[in-house]
Amino acid sequence: MASLILSPAEQDFIIRGVEKGFRGDGRGSLDRREVTLRTGMISQANGSARCRIGSLGVGTDILVGVKAEVNTWAAGEPEECGTIVCNVECSPSAAQEFEGRGADEINVELTQLLDRIVGGEQSGLDLRKLCIIPRQAYWVLHIDALVLDVKGGVADALVWATRAALLATKLPRVVVESVTDDSGVARAEFDVVDDAEDQMGLEGARDLPLAATFNQIGRRYVVDASEQEEAVTQAKLTVAVSPKMEICAIQKGGMLKGFAPSLLSEITQTALRIAKEEFARFDALFAEASKHNGELDEEPSTGSTFLEPF
Amino acid sequence: MDVDMESQDTRDIASRIVTPGSVITNDTAFMRGHGTFAERTTIYSSVAGAVERINKLVSVRPLKQRYSGEIGDIIVGRITEVASKRWRVDVNSRQDGILLLSSINLPGGIQRRKSESDELQMRTFFAEGDLVFAEVQSYFADGALSLHTRSLQYGKLRNGTFVTVFPQLVPRSRSHFHTLPCGVDIVLGVNGYIWVSKHVPASKVEENSELIYSDKNEFISDDERETIARIANCIHLLNRLYVKITDTSIIFAYEASLTHAVKDLLTREIAIDLAHNVKTRLEQQS
Repeated sequence: MASLILSPAEQDFIIRGVEKGFRGDGRGSLDRREVTLRTGMISQANGSARCRIGSLGVGTDILVGVKAEVNTWAAGEPEECGTIVCNVECSPSAAQEFEGRGADEINVELTQLLDRIVGGEQSGLDLRKLCIIPRQAYWVLHIDALVLDVKGGVADALVWATRAALLATKLPRVVVESVTDDSGVARAEFDVVDDAEDQMGLEGARDLPLAATFNQIGRRYVVDASEQEEAVTQAKLTVAVSPKMEICAIQKGGMLKGFAPSLLSEITQTALRIAKEEFARFDALFAEASKHNGELDEEPSTGSTFLEPF
Repeated sequence: MDVDMESQDTRDIASRIVTPGSVITNDTAFMRGHGTFAERTTIYSSVAGAVERINKLVSVRPLKQRYSGEIGDIIVGRITEVASKRWRVDVNSRQDGILLLSSINLPGGIQRRKSESDELQMRTFFAEGDLVFAEVQSYFADGALSLHTRSLQYGKLRNGTFVTVFPQLVPRSRSHFHTLPCGVDIVLGVNGYIWVSKHVPASKVEENSELIYSDKNEFISDDERETIARIANCIHLLNRLYVKITDTSIIFAYEASLTHAVKDLLTREIAIDLAHNVKTRLEQQS
């Protein structure tokens, strides 16, 4: 992160490596690190997931919880749909500079990014389905993310974890009925069914995008930058792509230098090209994670337990 | 009879693994050492580690700890601040080490007192972020380490990449600078900071002493880059799987890794397999 200062010789080594397409840990420009994914980590939430990007138990680590709440409609709010509220917080245990007010800036940047990606129609979620009774009551989805460790590529891990959490989210069923009061006026009333079995997933969650961050280093760019690579990044661009291969959101960050327009369009094209692979990888990991879903392994701990996913 | 009791105690107390708060002994005959605390007559562990006993002194050696320096240690540090007549150096310890302007060699090997003009151009020797290869010279009163680079082999590090490991995995040995047969130089800092770089013959620096403070890398070919990355990944996996990091273990890991692509070395199965391989070979050797 920002506090990491590299010597000129190290910077030169990284930049030249990237320009040759051979990175410090042997990856090519578009190779990504290992990802570990688990869902159902928080029992009180409607859906939750933890995602780690990095190998051998070290890496960027993010925990996301989704909590649904019923809100009463107030004048001025959208009449026929629910809302999504995002909040990202970087834990001071992740990096020393997050202590005190140090994390404020990055919290805002990441919250804005997440809001840009999943906060509206572009996320693929059907917000109309979150409406319970028009102009009366609707669902609010609170997406709270906690950054537990930072080793480069926070944005990507954040979107991965959020997508998994939203896919795992189950909303209780709501029964709406028409009641006629004493004066003979009919009005709608609703009841939240309190039954763990009687729940349903979010409509459109399968259309949620995944994001890839491209870091410009020297004259080339890389995806999934490590901590050291981020320290020499001149500019970065996060591109979110939906499973339908549409670009849903773009956010720039860490601009020491601007992007050349040609590089910008090249990056968006690359994002679309690699997205297919990303979704296949996500689906495989998510299916694996859903099998466990919050259960702890029965196997006894061994010396290399910390290598296990969480 | 007394002797028997003694050996019983030894077996009970020593070579046990404890976690913070575990009771080590209720016996008042023992004295508490590092990594323990006493409450009334009981001695508890304050860290996670192995219990050790020297006569009546009970201490716990932690499994994980920060580097605590000793005079003569060879370390790698990163400059964090340029202060008056000194540099502050991050040495992976509880506090920053200090490198005095008077403890460095001037380019050209001139032997003289450092003047005010040297003080003004301290950043041309070492600037913030630079990595230094140094030796622990002495302690300051507050326990901070005083370093020196008064030898041609010490100085600024270039042509390679930096790896951090647990300091307790790097044993103190006769030599901490190794040229591996694969053409890579490694500096194993006892403080857990390791530098992996392209091999540059020592004579080259001796001929041109300006190179001691150079920031420019030499030309590094694709093959050399790959070998450096492979060694760095090997060190990383040895560290994660808690294997001693010495020139021998690194060479073993390197040889065993040759059948895999560099980027695959850090995947779980391959890493465990390689570390196991290195452990068996190390056991065979000893």
